[in-house]
Amino acid sequence: MLVDSILAGYALFMTPAAIGLTLLGVLFGLVVGALPGLGPLMGIILLLPVAIGLPPVAAMGFLIAIFVGGSCGGSISAILLRIPGTPLAAATLFDGYPMAQKGRASDAIGIAISASALGGLFGGGVLILLAPALAQFASNFAPPEYAALAVTGLIAIAVISEGSLLKGLIAGCFGLLLATIGTDEFSTGYRFTFDTHHMLNGFHIVAVVVGLFAISEMAHQTMGNDLLKKPKIDIARPGFGSVLLTLKHWKNLLRSSTIGAFFGALPGAGGVISSFTSYAVAKAAAGPDEKYGEGEEGGVVATESANNATVGGTLVPSLALGIPGDASSAMLIGALLILGYFPGPTLFEQQPEIVGGIFLVYLTSNVFLLIAGILATPLFVYVLRVPKSYLIPIVLLLCTIGTFALQASVFDLLVMFGFGLVGILLRAASYPLSPIVIGIILGPLLENNLRRSLLISQDGYWIFVERPVSLILIIVNLLLIAGSIWFAVRKKSKAADKVPVSD
Amino acid sequence: MTMRKKHIGWMVVAFFVAIIAVVFQQIYTSMTEQGIASGGPYDNAAAYPAAVAILIGILVLLQAGLGLLRALPPSDEENEAISLARLKRPAGLLLIFGIYLALLGPLGYHLTTAPMIFAVMVLCGMRIALVTIAVSVVIAFVLAFAFEVFLKVVLPGGIFALNIPW
Repeated sequence: MLVDSILAGYALFMTPAAIGLTLLGVLFGLVVGALPGLGPLMGIILLLPVAIGLPPVAAMGFLIAIFVGGSCGGSISAILLRIPGTPLAAATLFDGYPMAQKGRASDAIGIAISASALGGLFGGGVLILLAPALAQFASNFAPPEYAALAVTGLIAIAVISEGSLLKGLIAGCFGLLLATIGTDEFSTGYRFTFDTHHMLNGFHIVAVVVGLFAISEMAHQTMGNDLLKKPKIDIARPGFGSVLLTLKHWKNLLRSSTIGAFFGALPGAGGVISSFTSYAVAKAAAGPDEKYGEGEEGGVVATESANNATVGGTLVPSLALGIPGDASSAMLIGALLILGYFPGPTLFEQQPEIVGGIFLVYLTSNVFLLIAGILATPLFVYVLRVPKSYLIPIVLLLCTIGTFALQASVFDLLVMFGFGLVGILLRAASYPLSPIVIGIILGPLLENNLRRSLLISQDGYWIFVERPVSLILIIVNLLLIAGSIWFAVRKKSKAADKVPVSD
Repeated sequence: MTMRKKHIGWMVVAFFVAIIAVVFQQIYTSMTEQGIASGGPYDNAAAYPAAVAILIGILVLLQAGLGLLRALPPSDEENEAISLARLKRPAGLLLIFGIYLALLGPLGYHLTTAPMIFAVMVLCGMRIALVTIAVSVVIAFVLAFAFEVFLKVVLPGGIFALNIPW
C-alpha cells in the first residue's frame, strides 16, 4: 500500500511545476526564516493564496518546502547576527554565534543546513512509516472519537502555547466560534451572516490568518528602532564539507532527530520545545572536552536537526488524522481543504497518490535544502542586509494581492484588515494567536462529529464515555488541563518564594 | 502618556463580551426566525455556537477574576506601561493601510499602490527623496507583473479600469 501510494505520487510529483516550486519554496522559506520577525508560518501564509491555484502536489510541495526552508532559515541570522530569525532557532545561537565569533560562521551555517536537512530526512522516514499506520488505526474511528480527538488537538495547542492556559483556551474557542460563521451543513440555515452574501461561506481562512499574523506582525515591527538599520555582515560561504562535519556527530544527530520527530508528532509541542530539549539532552550527554555554549558544533547539530525533524513529525497527525500539530501545519491542512482534499484516513484510502506525492515533496525539499541552502547562503546573507523599511511595505502588498487573489473580493481585504486589528489587540494582551487558527481548522471537525455522535447515540452525551478510544481521549484532555493548572500554580508559588524580603 | 498592559487586557475582555453578545443576539433573532435555534442535533444549529460562547464567557470571567486578584498588588507584567508615543507609528501604518484598502476598489491597484508603499517607507523613517519614490514604483510594478503575468491574477482596475496589458 505504501509503495503503491509513493509510486502513484511519483507521477504527480515528477512535473516541472512540482519540482520547480519545491525548490522555490525551499529558497523562499530560507529567506523568510532568516528575516527576523517572519518565519515559516508567515511564509506559508503569504504564499498560500498563490499555492491554492496550483495542482495539488505542486501546491503542497511549495508550502511544505517553505515550512522546511523556514524552519532552517532562522539559524542563519542566529549565527550571524545573534538574532534568531524564528523562535525555532533560538537555541541555535547558543553555539552558532560563538562559532561565528571564532571565525567559523561558514562552518556553523553549513552544519546548521546539513543537520536541518538530515534531521528533516529522518523526520520524513518517521512520517512515511507512521502516518499510514496511524491512518489505518484511525480508519476505525467513528464520530465520537473524532470529536474527542479534535478537543485533544485544541487543548494540547492551548496548553503549550505561549501565555496562560486560559488565554490559549479563549483563543482556541474564538477560533471554534469563527468556524461556525456561514451556512450550517446540517440544517442549511445561515449563522452569523448578517444577511450578506459575502458571509454565506464564512470568512476565508486565508484572509483571517493573514490579518491575524502578518498585519499584526508588521504593525508590531514598526515599533522597533531598527527600521533603517542595515546590519554589517560578512559574506559566509559554507561548503559541502559541512555534511561531513555534521556526520561526525552522528549519535547526536540521530538522538536529536528522534526527539524532534517525537515532539513534532505531539499536537502543540512543536519545534521550539524540541530544539531546546535536544540541546539540553546533547549538553547532558556531552563529554568533558565538549564545551557547549562556547561554539560547540554539537550544539548546532542538536538544535537544527531537531527542529527540522519536527516538521516531519508534525505532518504525521496532520495527514493521518487531520489534527494539526501547530499553526504552520494547520495552514497546510487548510490548503489541502481548499484544494478539495480532506486529511485523515479517507485521504490515505481514496487519494493515495496525493499522500505519496506529499511524502515525495517533503523528502525532496530536504534534499533541496541541503544543496540550495549551502549554495545560496551568500544570497540569504545579502537579504539580511535589506532594511525593514523596505520589507514592511512589500509584506503588506503581498498580503493585499494574495488575499484579493483568493476570490477577487474586496470584502476579503476588509476581513484581513479587521483581523489585523484583532491580532494587534490580542498580541498586545499576550494572547497566543496559533490556537485561533487551530480552532478554525478543527471547528468543523468538532461540530460535525459532535452532532453526528448525538444523532447516533441512544444515551446522549454518554456515547463519549461508552467508547474506549473517546474515553481515553477525554481522560487525556482532563489530565492535560489538570497538569497545566498544577504547573501554573507551582510556577507561581515558586516565583512567590523567590521574591526577596525587603528591609 | 502611557497605557498599562492590564488596560489592554480589559479591552480584550470587553471584545469577547461583545462577541458573546452578538452570538446570543443572532441566536434569538436571525436563527430563531429561520427555525434553526431549537430541536435535535440535526436541526439545532444554534446549540453548538451557544455552547462555545458560554465556554468563552466562563473562561473570560475566570481571566477577568484573575486580573482583579492580580490587581492587588499589580504584577510587573500587568503594570508594564506602554508609551502612547510608541504606538504612533503602528497607528500611522494602520491608517495608511486602511486608506489604501478603502481606495483600492474605486481607484485601482496602479493608482494607489506606489503611494501606499511610499507613505509606509516615509513612516518607517526613510527620506522623501527620488530614490524612495523610485523604489515604491518599482516594487508596485514588479509585484503586479509577477502576479498578473505568472499567476494570472487580475488586479483591481478601479473606475478608470487601469490594467496593464503586459
